[in-house]
Amino acid sequence: MNLPIPLIVLITILCLAGIGLYCLLITRNLIKVVIALQLIVKGAVLAFILAGNMTGQLNLAQSMALTVIVADTIVAVVGLALAVQIRLKTGSLDIKSLSSLKR
Amino acid sequence: MTPILIALTIGIPWLGAIIVWLMGDRREELTHWVSILFSIGAAVTSVLLLPNASRETALTIPIGGDFGDFTFVADGLGIFLSVIAAVIGSLAVIFSKNYMKGEASLGRYYAFVLFFIGAMVGLVLSSNLLLTFLFWEITALCSYALISFHNDDPKAVKGGIKALIITSIGGVGLMVGALIVYAYTGSYDINNFLANYSTIPGNILALLAFGFLIAAAAKSAQFPFQTWLPDAMEAPSPISALIHAATMVNAGVYLLARFYPAFKDVPYWSEAVMIVGALSALLAAVMALVSNDLKRVLAYSTVSQLGYMVYAIGTGSVYASQFHLFSHSIFKALLFLSAGAVIHSIGTRNMLEMGGVGKKLPLVKWVFIIGALALAGLPILNGFWSKELILESGLKNGPLWLYIVMVFVAGLTALYTIRCVWLVFFGEPRSEYHAHAIGWEMIAALLPLAGAALVSWLAAGRFSVLLGEKSLPFHAIEPLPYKEMMHEVLSLPTLVVMVVITAAILLWVFRKKLEGLINGLKSIRWAAENSFGFEAINNAIVKVTQSTAEALRVTQTGILNWNVFGILASVIILLAILVLGA
Amino acid sequence: MTSNFLFSSLLLLPFLAAPIVYMLGRLTARNGNVLGISLTRALTVFFLLVEGCLLYLVVKQALSSGGAYLLIGDEPLVFDGIGLILACVVLFLGLMVTLFSIDYMNNEKGEEKFYALLLTTIGSIIGLGMSYDLFNLWLWFEAMAISTYLLVAFYNDEPPSLEAGVKYLVQSAVGSALVMFGIAMIFSQTGSITLTDLWQLTSSEAPLAKIAGVLLIVGFGVKTALVPLHTWLPDAHSQAPSGISAMLSGVVIEAGLVAMLRAISMFGKVDFNWGAILIGFGCLNILIGNLMALRQTQVKRLLAYSSLAHVGYMLLGFGFSMAFGRFEGAAGGFFHLLTHSMMKGLAFLAAGALLFTLHLSKQEHVPLTLDDLNGASRKYPVAAFALGLAVLGLGGIPPMAGFMSKWQILVAGVKAENTLMLIVVIFAALNSILSLGYYAPLVNRMYRHEPSTAVEQGSKMPGLIIVPLVILSIAIVVIGVWPSSVQFLTEQAGLSLLYTFFY
Repeated sequence: MNLPIPLIVLITILCLAGIGLYCLLITRNLIKVVIALQLIVKGAVLAFILAGNMTGQLNLAQSMALTVIVADTIVAVVGLALAVQIRLKTGSLDIKSLSSLKR
Repeated sequence: MTPILIALTIGIPWLGAIIVWLMGDRREELTHWVSILFSIGAAVTSVLLLPNASRETALTIPIGGDFGDFTFVADGLGIFLSVIAAVIGSLAVIFSKNYMKGEASLGRYYAFVLFFIGAMVGLVLSSNLLLTFLFWEITALCSYALISFHNDDPKAVKGGIKALIITSIGGVGLMVGALIVYAYTGSYDINNFLANYSTIPGNILALLAFGFLIAAAAKSAQFPFQTWLPDAMEAPSPISALIHAATMVNAGVYLLARFYPAFKDVPYWSEAVMIVGALSALLAAVMALVSNDLKRVLAYSTVSQLGYMVYAIGTGSVYASQFHLFSHSIFKALLFLSAGAVIHSIGTRNMLEMGGVGKKLPLVKWVFIIGALALAGLPILNGFWSKELILESGLKNGPLWLYIVMVFVAGLTALYTIRCVWLVFFGEPRSEYHAHAIGWEMIAALLPLAGAALVSWLAAGRFSVLLGEKSLPFHAIEPLPYKEMMHEVLSLPTLVVMVVITAAILLWVFRKKLEGLINGLKSIRWAAENSFGFEAINNAIVKVTQSTAEALRVTQTGILNWNVFGILASVIILLAILVLGA
Repeated sequence: MTSNFLFSSLLLLPFLAAPIVYMLGRLTARNGNVLGISLTRALTVFFLLVEGCLLYLVVKQALSSGGAYLLIGDEPLVFDGIGLILACVVLFLGLMVTLFSIDYMNNEKGEEKFYALLLTTIGSIIGLGMSYDLFNLWLWFEAMAISTYLLVAFYNDEPPSLEAGVKYLVQSAVGSALVMFGIAMIFSQTGSITLTDLWQLTSSEAPLAKIAGVLLIVGFGVKTALVPLHTWLPDAHSQAPSGISAMLSGVVIEAGLVAMLRAISMFGKVDFNWGAILIGFGCLNILIGNLMALRQTQVKRLLAYSSLAHVGYMLLGFGFSMAFGRFEGAAGGFFHLLTHSMMKGLAFLAAGALLFTLHLSKQEHVPLTLDDLNGASRKYPVAAFALGLAVLGLGGIPPMAGFMSKWQILVAGVKAENTLMLIVVIFAALNSILSLGYYAPLVNRMYRHEPSTAVEQGSKMPGLIIVPLVILSIAIVVIGVWPSSVQFLTEQAGLSLLYTFFY
């Protein structure tokens, strides 16, 4: 394909974010939820890089991207820890069973 | 001198409130005496203010910013109302020593009573609209707390919350008005507004005028907000006397009286005021006629008499309205306190179960009759003079048909009053009841009020000077010595009113013979017993709110997918709004 | 001490203190070792007090030298009025919560974790107020979020807490991701993320700027609990330990609001639309918050929904300032931020005190219901009075502080001299009365004579829990009768906000 690279990156970002959001709306498994979150954030990281490329500030963009990756990893760890604990205490990872707090 | 007296009249009861609250319920007798002490202190300082009426700003507490400076002006209107609040307040507290004997949570009771007295004084003396609204809301808080004093009784709690909400809804009118005054004149000062009200554009001034009318109507339980006052009768009787007869409900009338010069030229405002007053007077009088609960009759009667005062302001006579307020505070407090004595002694509020109480409690009977005569407007009691002044003003300045309505209501007033007196004090007892003797504290509170009901009208001249040029520069109230007032009142229109009242009394005396006529009015009786549909409207509003809230709960599904959907939906909707709005 | 040193230590201290506190707690964690845990608690209080002193010194320096700012590499950090008020609020509330939690979290598993995380939350909120750069803002925001994820799910043996924690985490993370996209979009358009640069550049209406703005509002809005992004809030605020509920409702939501305001500040001069969006969300929040709270039977859930309504008031104030340039709106919004943090904090702490004595001290993890409150005032007079005072203050009744702060916001609305805004003002006032419809019955219940079974079987109220209740009650009433006592804080913040909007 002879598409310019920025465009490919843009399409990738949209795909990642789109798939991530779609999964969040559809899935019923907590682990899949965490993975979907990761997908979205990776899309955001790519967006930073793309933005840095477009404005010529790649260094700033790279540092932002790295920081985001670190922060996001921590969030994923916490999320998975909570998922593990939920599995231990309630025996299931299904979102539908996690709806005792309502109204 | 004046600033100190103002600070003391507000500060003494508030200090008492804090002390009594902290004292808790440990020593009952001491709590009673401490409260009496502080309330009498406030009464004394308020009376001391009487000679110093002036329109100068007496006390300023600088706050700044968007809150203005908290200023107090000790003018005639304010001082007279604060004297009423403090003096009748102390009488109610003295009465409470006997009435509330042995009750639990006395600390809370007296704390709120004292807090209320201070707040009421502050309300009428304040010259900063924000401060007026602040005290307005504090009186609403105290009223709510005292109506629902017996928290275990669901009726009392419901009554308290109803009073709080309805008066607060009206309060929005005052709040918006105060904000408008600040936005358009740059200051919250009342006298400044009264001097410069013409700088406000006409439609905004109209909004202001009607907003204040709504606030006054809600606070004074006028049409269409009258439903809260009868339910507020769940409060202990001294509270009904103090708050719901003599002081807080007068705040609405005070508001109208204070701001009358600025609003009298707003198109349709005076007419609206007159109609609100007249309608309240009429509807409440009919409802009083069919009610069997002693306190409810008095409550409706309060609404009706307040209607007279509001009507008087509509016709342009602020003096007549305030004079009637003066008389009414005295005789209505008297009536409520004696009714309280009866209820406390007999143990029921239902008049159908009473009868012949006069034989057991002769003193109460006589003071109640004095109050009743004043209410009915019979000479020579104070109610007669003030009511006639109002009717005179109505004849001179208001439409004739409204005047006829008000005269008719005067007749109705006499009718329900004599019905009340008869059912309670005369005849044979209709049920087994045991009458406890009343204590000296109750007598000590009742006698001064009875005496005042007989002679307070003699102060008419002094009263008019108090409200005159020196303190109320914008109201143009002429001095009216009492002899001149007597001369004015004792004239042909008054004779007509006397005939109507006599007719009403005769109606009662010959009621057995008029059975047919009474049966014919059965549909009106049914409508009155159901408060002419206003309760139904209230209940409908509450029900709609509750069911909307209940229906809304579904949105909190608890399912994560829906939550995320909500986030995405908002992004899309916002984008759409922005793109379309561009 | 140079201002730079003071400023950097103000930002760094909580993050240095947190691991120290945690280590100390962990290393001395042996069963029954009271000294170790007492030392941990004392150390937390100590660090907070030191932080307060540092704040005071920085302010003094800033006033004398005309401003305090710091550059870390390319990231600017500026100490302006907004940062000041946020720091004051978070430190005061944090101190109260720490004092409260000494008895409340007594003997809980992992108590040292609690204090360490509380310190990091406080530190990240202080940092959030100082940042003048979009990415920096996001970073502090994320740090605050992560600390609170762990705190909300603190009772990790109770499925409801875990459930609340997971939902909060997922929704907040989605919000953060949206913010990241927004920042990336702005970065791609303008090549810079420092606020001062952005104010200069974004006067052209690039279409992507609008999309970025929406993403920023929604992204930060999840944390600020805008309706309909609020669904995590009732669960998280009711399941967290009560001190954390107080922090969440009192500062964390508001920090999200401040972050949002900083982020969209560049749009202040561009269009009228953005202020209108805030006002629209404000009205929606007020209405939905009050209606949903009306039917609740659990106390903490009721208070959580009422936070929605109060955030709505703040949004109204800030919306008035953004749309019409009204200073009173900005000052009023910050004033309401201050008073709400105190009143809601007091409400949650008082409710927490009652929850503790009625249920938690007996190791029952059940929610506190309205029925449990019946007759509480006889046995627990201080807690009942505090809860009643806080709740009536939230309803806007004088002489509590809520009345004055709502007043200032409404002044802004009327001064805008716009009929639609007048209707909004009346709407907000009527909703205040609607809120009394669920606050007043709560107070009435507490003052009954007939106690509920829970109250009859309740244990004794520990002494130290009462101290923050009393301090907060007095503060609320003092500010209520003397609003100018805090005007120096709120007016500074208001000025700074207008500066950011209309630079």
